[in-house]
Amino acid sequence: MRATFTVASDLLREAASRRWFLALGIGITTVLIVLGFALRLEVVDGALAATRLFGREVRTDIRSVDVALRFVYRAAAYVLFYGGLAFGIVACADFGPSLLAPGRIEHLLSLPVKRYELLLGTFLGVLILSLIGAVYGAGGFTLIFAVKTGHFTLRPVAAAVLAGVTFAGIYGAMLTAAVALRSAALSAAVGVVLFVLGIIAGYRDRLDTFFESGAAREAFRAVTFVLPRVSALADASADIAASAAIRYDVLASQMVGLLVFGFASLALGIHLFEQKDY
Amino acid sequence: MLAIEAANVRKVYSGWFGRRGAQTALAGLDIAIPRGTAFGLIGLNGAGKTTFIKIMLGVVRPTDGVVRVLGGNPEDPNVRRRIGYLPERLFLTSAFTPRQFLGSVARMKGLRLTESVLIAQLERVGLGPDTNRRNGGFSKGMRQRLGLAAALLGSPDLLILDEPTDGVDPLGRAEIRKILAEERARGATLFLNSHLLSETERVCDRIGILAAGKLVREGRLLDLCGSETAYRAKFAPGFNAPALHEIGFRNSEIEGEMRIISPTPEALNQALDAARSRGALIIGLARDLRDLEDVLAEALGTQSPQSESSSPPQPLNVHTGETRSTVGQPADSVHNIPSQSVHNESLVNASDLEAAL
Repeated sequence: MRATFTVASDLLREAASRRWFLALGIGITTVLIVLGFALRLEVVDGALAATRLFGREVRTDIRSVDVALRFVYRAAAYVLFYGGLAFGIVACADFGPSLLAPGRIEHLLSLPVKRYELLLGTFLGVLILSLIGAVYGAGGFTLIFAVKTGHFTLRPVAAAVLAGVTFAGIYGAMLTAAVALRSAALSAAVGVVLFVLGIIAGYRDRLDTFFESGAAREAFRAVTFVLPRVSALADASADIAASAAIRYDVLASQMVGLLVFGFASLALGIHLFEQKDY
Repeated sequence: MLAIEAANVRKVYSGWFGRRGAQTALAGLDIAIPRGTAFGLIGLNGAGKTTFIKIMLGVVRPTDGVVRVLGGNPEDPNVRRRIGYLPERLFLTSAFTPRQFLGSVARMKGLRLTESVLIAQLERVGLGPDTNRRNGGFSKGMRQRLGLAAALLGSPDLLILDEPTDGVDPLGRAEIRKILAEERARGATLFLNSHLLSETERVCDRIGILAAGKLVREGRLLDLCGSETAYRAKFAPGFNAPALHEIGFRNSEIEGEMRIISPTPEALNQALDAARSRGALIIGLARDLRDLEDVLAEALGTQSPQSESSSPPQPLNVHTGETRSTVGQPADSVHNIPSQSVHNESLVNASDLEAAL
């Protein structure tokens, strides 16, 4: 596992030097700073009495703080989930092909490491990277609201972790595509397709009525069965952030499905990697 | 003890549609390289050199045949732990400084090296001033130096170097040669793949010539490039060339220099005495070795551009295998052998040639 952790830490170092991630870090930090300085929340006896953004009053009903923040956290969870996934697909598509670049992969494979450790390290690095991004954004956001309202909850952070894990599941397939054809564009395309199909798969029970009953509907259900339920997980993430009721059995089955998809994709990628000449 | 042994190694890269478009990179390669040797593999582009290197590293799997490196299977990480490898074009991300890159390679090799050791390694390859500079702006030569530093980590038993001096400035080349000599003195085996034949000549003591996936010649550098009986004598201006021809000296492509083949030191001194008695003043004497380019061209059945522009092919001596005449031997004992007839022979051998004639 030594090589796996080395590859993962190298990937984090590489990410830190890339403009995409630098921009993301600066962007999140800027939003947090602006929110921290420009947002004024007046809490009286546990109720949100007034909200001011850049000095202007935002008209809201007087509500208990935890109820008022549910809407904010739900919106933030959706933004973080879909925005994070879209950003991750574009920004991380190059990590696999970069690992497999001529002159680098021969050198890595000449070292006393096992092949699977290299792919596992890349996957682990991206998982850590997505979790760092998600937790930094959600954690900072939560902290600002906690300081301003006195109401602290870790639920938005848990929602962000779910977003990070969902991205890792998709990244497993992206990495496999990169191993197959060593192309960042193809890797990103696979991510985008899974992102879109995953949204459709999340609503498969509602959408299958658009298909004629019979072979077409069964084919739709079969295809969407194996895909990660991106939209359903996004809804679950928003529900977690907003402290809404969650059916944990449904969420657990969706998580299991996501993990099976992610690890199956990764296993296929490792199998291809073991067979390939570089 | 052998460092590298390969038996009937074949590698066929299959095309997209099975056999269609398949390419044969190695077509039955046999080689045995003893430990402690500095071996140079030379050949034209597409001869299969890089494929063989990758097979030795377990990066590419052979279609057929057996390769053993340091007595084990190259796919075994414990074998690769004892190998240092420098690829031809080392890919470096701009995220790392040389120190960080070496640290990463050391961790992958399972080495626990201190910062001072890493810095000393960088200083050894001439990257001391660039220790904390990002790799992104490195020139080809600097990349090669850094790759060499990484290959040397952990004092490997076998160093496999693909174009180690490519892009390196002349002084840097000398430094790298010095490092390789030190590694060799330590007991490491060197396997060098380079298109810079002069570098290969300077570093290696054994040479293999690869053509179309097969080893067409292999042997000691001295055996391939000449023999211990061939010399070049340099004379002061004004010597009588026809008189020296009578003794056995032959013209060389360098003005003032003449070639001679003497089977013994006594014969050489007799020839030199005879030259002096004819008024020639000797100002230099050296072993006459062909350069590797000529050997490569001969092995591949082509003519090097250098030899094309020089004198016509020299007659080949059937007793020594040399393309030169021999002192005191009658002209009828010297035969011209078409280069095609010795093509693909491992080494020119007197008995084989006599049989051929």
